[in-house]
This record gives sequence, structure tokens and C-alpha cells, in this order.
Amino acid sequence: MKNRDDLLSGLGRFSEPSLYILISPADGPKHAYAMTQDIEAVSGQKLGPGTLYGAIARLEARNWIEPLPTEERRRPYRLTAVGQRVLRHRLESLRSVARVGRARLAEG
Amino acid sequence: MSGVRGMSTAEGLVRLYPRAWRARYGEEFLATAGPGELHLQLVIDIVLGAIDAWLSTEARNATRAYRVATNGGGLPMLKSILVCNRTGSRFTKRGSLIGAGVMIGATFLFSVLGIVLRHAGWPVMGEILKSIAFPGSLMVSMPFWLMKGQPWKTQAVIVGSSLAMLVAVSYLATMI
Repeated sequence: MKNRDDLLSGLGRFSEPSLYILISPADGPKHAYAMTQDIEAVSGQKLGPGTLYGAIARLEARNWIEPLPTEERRRPYRLTAVGQRVLRHRLESLRSVARVGRARLAEG
Repeated sequence: MSGVRGMSTAEGLVRLYPRAWRARYGEEFLATAGPGELHLQLVIDIVLGAIDAWLSTEARNATRAYRVATNGGGLPMLKSILVCNRTGSRFTKRGSLIGAGVMIGATFLFSVLGIVLRHAGWPVMGEILKSIAFPGSLMVSMPFWLMKGQPWKTQAVIVGSSLAMLVAVSYLATMI
């Protein structure tokens, strides 16, 4: 499963925004504006439209998210099955890192 | 900070993006960015996004697939071939077929080599090779059809320098 994690890290400066964008529609389809609001509420980061669509294009090209029919000029995006697996693995990986970090802080 | 004068609205800045990108994301981009003037930070974000849309292979691939799909698949390519045939192209059928074969073979080779290098621990080299897979193979195929009959030195200089330029641009793109 290491390769999937590498793929998300391989998005360069878009890897962190991409993680947030994968998390946002995990509970149901969302359009880009709703994603920015959700991401800001969850992480405190406000993604600009340039970064947002740079990440969306990459995730769509990798078939990790897919667009649904446009509703009032806005197109909702849904997490694909592949996207779910990538996200699940990435979150597991982050949890392991956090656990180690917390343990070392407790030791120190 | 108030917006920058001139191209300070999303409608103005979206023009910096490639046409195929605008066709795919333009409308929802404008709906997301909203009307009115943008802060400098957002202007910079959008300009960097436009540079990325021009240079990034992945961003271009996402919009290219959409453009081909909305234009009716291979219809544009078929039209080009028909126009070429009608206007009395100087390319021979044999030369064109060899050129196409070389192009397909080289695209496959560049892509496979890119994947192998990426997995072998050279991600930048792998990304560069994957980026130039199509334009690079077009260059490599040129001596078999477009440049057929030209002196070999001319062919070597044009193909070599074009490939070097492609590699340099792709390398710069990996740094964005």
C-alpha cells in the first residue's frame, strides 16, 4: 500500500490541499465552493481558487474524485472508490505518525 | 488590501488559463471565486494556478480528456487527416505510417521508462520522461515524415535541441 501513499505525496505543493479535498466529499458530494468552506472549518486553511482547481484537476485526472452534473453553474464532486482507498490509507499513515510523535513527546 | 487594478477580478484572471482549461473549469471557477475585486493573495494564487495549468502535464491531461470527449473523440484528428489529404499533402502514405509507428512506439517507450525510473528511485527523471512522452515522441518521429529528405545534420540539430528544450521545460514544471 506504500505506493498509494507515495502517489498522494507525489502531488508536490498540491499534496496537502489534495488531502483536504479528498476528505471534504467523503461524507457526500460537494461542489468546489462548499469544499472551500468545509476545509476552512475543518483545517482553518482557506484554499484560493488557483490552488483548489490545480488540486481538483490532478485528483480528477487520477480518478480519485469524479464530477457530477452541474447544478446552477457549480459542479459537485464525488469521491471514487479508488479515492476512498487512497484517503483511508493516507489517514492511517498520518495516525501512525501522530501516535509516534505523541509517544516521543511524552517520553521527552 | 483592496484588489489590484486591471485584471483584478476572477473574470479577468481566468483568461490567463489555457482555453481547454477554461472550457472545463471556467464556469465553476468563476462561481467559486465570486464576482468583484480580489485580494492580492488571491490574485497571486490564481496567477500561479494559471502557470501550473499551462505547464503541468497532469492539469493538461485532465482538460485534454474533457476536450477530446466534448469534441466527439477522434473526430478532430480524422478531420485533420482528411484536410491534409484533400490539400495534396507532400507526405507519402508509407512515410506517414512509419512516422505514426515510431511516434506510438516512442510514446510507449518514454512512458514505460518514466514509470520504471520513478519506481527505481528517480522520481524527477521519471516525471520528466512521462511529461515528454507525447511531444518527445513527435520530435523523434519527425525525421521519418515531416523532415524526410532534409540533411541529417539539420534533423539532428532540430530534433536534439527540441528534445533538450522539452526536458528543460519539463524539469522546470516539476519544480512548481
